[in-house]
Amino acid sequence: MNVQAVKRVLKSKKALLLLITVVVIAAFYFVNPNYLSMDSIRGTMQRMSITGIMALGIACLFISGGIDLASSSECLFGGVVCGLLIKSGIPWGWAVAATLAVGGVIGALNAFLALKIGLMPFISTIAISSVLQGINLGVTNAQNIPIPNPTFAWGSRNLFGILPIPFVIMIVLIIVYEYVLKRTQFGRNMYIVGGNVYAARLSGLNPDRILTVLYINNAVVSTLAGIVLASRMQSASPLSMSDSQMDAITAAILGGIAFYGGGGDMSGCLIGILLLNFFSSGLNMLALESYWTTIASGLLLIIALMFDYLNERAAQRALKVKTTARAAAPGEAK
Amino acid sequence: MSEYLEFQGISKAYPGVQALSDISFRAEAGRVLALLGENGAGKSTLLKILSGDIRPDAGGIVISGEEMSFPTPRDAILAGVSVIYQERQLVPLLSVMENIFPGALPKTALGIDKNRLRAEAKAVIGKFGLPIDPDEPVGRLSVAYQQMVEIMKAYTRNSRIIAFDEPTAPLTDTETDILFRLIGDLKAEGKIIIYVSHRMAEIFKITDDVVVLKDGKFVKAMRTQDTDERALIQAMVGRDIGDTYSNLSRNEEYGDVLLEVRGLCTDALDDVSFSLRRGEVLGLAGLVGAGRTEVVRAIFGADAIEAGEIIFEGKQVRFTEPRDAIRAGIALCPEDRKEQGLILSRSVRENVTMPVLSKLKKGLFNMFLDRDAENRLTQEVIDQFTIRTPSINKIARELSGGNQQKVILGRWTNEKVSTKLLILDEPTKGIDVATKAEIYQMVCDFAKAGFAVIFISSELTEVINVSDRIIVMHNGHITGEVMRQEATEENVLALAMLD
Repeated sequence: MNVQAVKRVLKSKKALLLLITVVVIAAFYFVNPNYLSMDSIRGTMQRMSITGIMALGIACLFISGGIDLASSSECLFGGVVCGLLIKSGIPWGWAVAATLAVGGVIGALNAFLALKIGLMPFISTIAISSVLQGINLGVTNAQNIPIPNPTFAWGSRNLFGILPIPFVIMIVLIIVYEYVLKRTQFGRNMYIVGGNVYAARLSGLNPDRILTVLYINNAVVSTLAGIVLASRMQSASPLSMSDSQMDAITAAILGGIAFYGGGGDMSGCLIGILLLNFFSSGLNMLALESYWTTIASGLLLIIALMFDYLNERAAQRALKVKTTARAAAPGEAK
Repeated sequence: MSEYLEFQGISKAYPGVQALSDISFRAEAGRVLALLGENGAGKSTLLKILSGDIRPDAGGIVISGEEMSFPTPRDAILAGVSVIYQERQLVPLLSVMENIFPGALPKTALGIDKNRLRAEAKAVIGKFGLPIDPDEPVGRLSVAYQQMVEIMKAYTRNSRIIAFDEPTAPLTDTETDILFRLIGDLKAEGKIIIYVSHRMAEIFKITDDVVVLKDGKFVKAMRTQDTDERALIQAMVGRDIGDTYSNLSRNEEYGDVLLEVRGLCTDALDDVSFSLRRGEVLGLAGLVGAGRTEVVRAIFGADAIEAGEIIFEGKQVRFTEPRDAIRAGIALCPEDRKEQGLILSRSVRENVTMPVLSKLKKGLFNMFLDRDAENRLTQEVIDQFTIRTPSINKIARELSGGNQQKVILGRWTNEKVSTKLLILDEPTKGIDVATKAEIYQMVCDFAKAGFAVIFISSELTEVINVSDRIIVMHNGHITGEVMRQEATEENVLALAMLD
């Protein structure tokens, strides 16, 4: 049985993705051994944490068939709100808690528009994104807000002197979410609602409640990403980071999260985050202009999708050959 | 020489299944050829090959001596082939006339010539004698008339070959008659007609030849007049299934009244009243659109109720959400199992246990799902309903229609659910003959187990033979009630058409 299980894992998409990740890392290491120096790895971990944390919230929404395109604005908004609160003299812990609560309100607003009013979240969250970004620029005069509070600088420190705190936060969240998805009724219901919302309702589930929780979760997690970023930079920037929105979605889909709902999990999402970030930090190391990274991450998504497609097709062909052979020699079928 | 269509050695494999192997037969002009077979026999695959939707792995199609190859559906259409699928290929927001002449709209210098288009459409509609307004958006027509529009579309394309894939499945009996008249007209014009259906009576009514497929293989071809129902079923299932209905082992003892409906009104229902005992199978018969599904949806809390009382277990209830009805002990197996019943992308296990997860938990604060209990429950359901699946983790999409239906039945009748009233809306739709017989026995077994069962079906024979008592509906109200012993297709149909 265990041999079977191992075989299944090896054939899975996740294994392929992990393999690609390893190949990418090995290739860059081959070009420049410094790529895998402690400092370089730590830098990559630092960078991936922000988009990674955002990707988790998005992934949960995708699994249940929702979408929030305001993540990056929510992230920036979180940083700005938290920064302003700390500057006004509130202890940072309270500031963080208040900011997360604000995130919750934004998420509830997204859920209200999408579920109660019935607007298309694809569009309504873009509208919310625009509103938030406008407020960001307004309250900061489009300037960085420095946060002169050394106790709030935990985002730039390392756990046990090794692991960046933001990375630790991301990993903890991944573990929690994976547990919820795989082991709790709520997680199971997330898949069911994403798989067929109508059947879910006729089977007694309350899809709106589940999606509401996930919209709120996504906005809270996105503001958390903004707080972590602010803590790491010791300043809050109101300037657009639309790339990070794209990266978060790319990472989630790379990791096998079904865009239309009903599939995917957090370990896949993690691999997606790792692949995307080790790839782009490798490109950075090559000292290419930064737009190359943007182009490359788009291409990476396409290549990953192609691999997925080819893999699937090969599997189907193998199955087909097997059945044809069995049809030709029915006596040998077991 | 008259025209013909010939399949020559067609083979097609899908992952995990040889859908067709070496199929050869010939269909003649001016005749209707029935293509028969259980689900999975390969009928739909063959039609898809004919329409250019998929390409065969081997073999070819010959039309009147000319070898054809249809790499795309467009090539098939140009060669004079029209396949009318169950799923309409119409644009709902466009008018009837625009749908009849897609891509061939008459034009003036300023654009589409609406007047000529309307005149041409009227001519075709008139030729078939149908009461359809050419300016009506297709989406507002009934399913039957939408199908007629498809037929007219095929007709105006000058198709030599017209294939129908279970055309009567969504139709009422009157509508079916109109369809048969149309098919008769097409036949008289010398078209080659292929007709796929599960319904025996129709085969004998309108077809001239029969080809039987089983498991993707050719079984036999014959003249319809030279065979009978029993012989055909035997060819389809490969064995004699005998008289399905008289062999059913039914429940004889009823309990107390479980459900009483008084004067129920919704926007589709008018003063519907009836009662139902535990252990009883109540059939709801009627033409499509008579309001059968609307009755159960109102009871179940899926549609709003305007007036009336529902008394369940002696208490007056009015559910506003399905989950409230489920909590009270009502389960609905909906009409469209793929769209409304199953989570196709998830496993058999997840599909079975979804309404009872809260009873399958363990650990701190009962927070975590108990996988072992879940697996056990699913395995029990698989055994009890003889669901053919290699594993409890198989994705529901990959099961056959009959097994999918069993998964839904298992979801609502296993030991963990507290179902008292089980509503089955068209539980045998699109399911092969052998599995249908299994499902009939299951319905009787549910009654024996003490469930009250509401059984809705558009197939008259089925609903009057499986139910203990039949309520007939027409246009949103009840037109009559018949016990099984007294029910015949004639008297039920008469009630169903009563105004």
